Amino acid sequence: MPAIRNQIRELRAVREMTQQDLADRVGVTRQTVIAMEQDKYSPSLETAFKVAMALGVTLEHCFQYVPDGKRS
Amino acid sequence: MATTLSYREKSLYASLVAEVVVYGPYFFLHQQNSVNKVAGMIVGIIALQAVLQTVIALLTRNRVTDERDRLIELRGYRAGYLTVATLMVAGLGMLWFHATEGHINLENRQMGLHFLSVFFGMLVIADVAKTATQIVSYRRAL
Repeated sequence: MPAIRNQIRELRAVREMTQQDLADRVGVTRQTVIAMEQDKYSPSLETAFKVAMALGVTLEHCFQYVPDGKRS
Repeated sequence: MATTLSYREKSLYASLVAEVVVYGPYFFLHQQNSVNKVAGMIVGIIALQAVLQTVIALLTRNRVTDERDRLIELRGYRAGYLTVATLMVAGLGMLWFHATEGHINLENRQMGLHFLSVFFGMLVIADVAKTATQIVSYRRAL
């Protein structure tokens, strides 16, 4: 299964933003942020854009598509 | 950071507890089924669910649901549908087999109660499968 990798945890740490802060800004639950950071959930395109905007980066900076990558 | 349960997860665990508490004794302790017992269980599950869900809603400040919750809910409904469809086909097959073998008498009143119990059981199993699938989906990668 193709995997979408992301740098949410690293970007969030640099900005000293908590998971709940990011969740509130994006409009998802904290559990969904945790699932995204652990590569257990690939968000919709709309949510991915919201996450990137909340972190102040581009979509490509935050999310990467790994065609034959495996989930960790 | 530790993963705590979201509002939807708490709600699902409460549903599973309610299903086990209400349906469990019916299927494992009662040998003689009746329309009143089925009606009593339906009232019981509605009342218990109302109490549990109200308590959880009152105790949970953040009741946000998102796209992941909706996706998991859909998975649960798919599992429930597949379960009830499979059980229905198996049940109809068994009914056809026993009817052709002359094992059952559809004129018998007790047979009607038996069918009521069997079909209700199918719905209960499907409901538990739906809830369990959703709980498991929250712990697995989507």
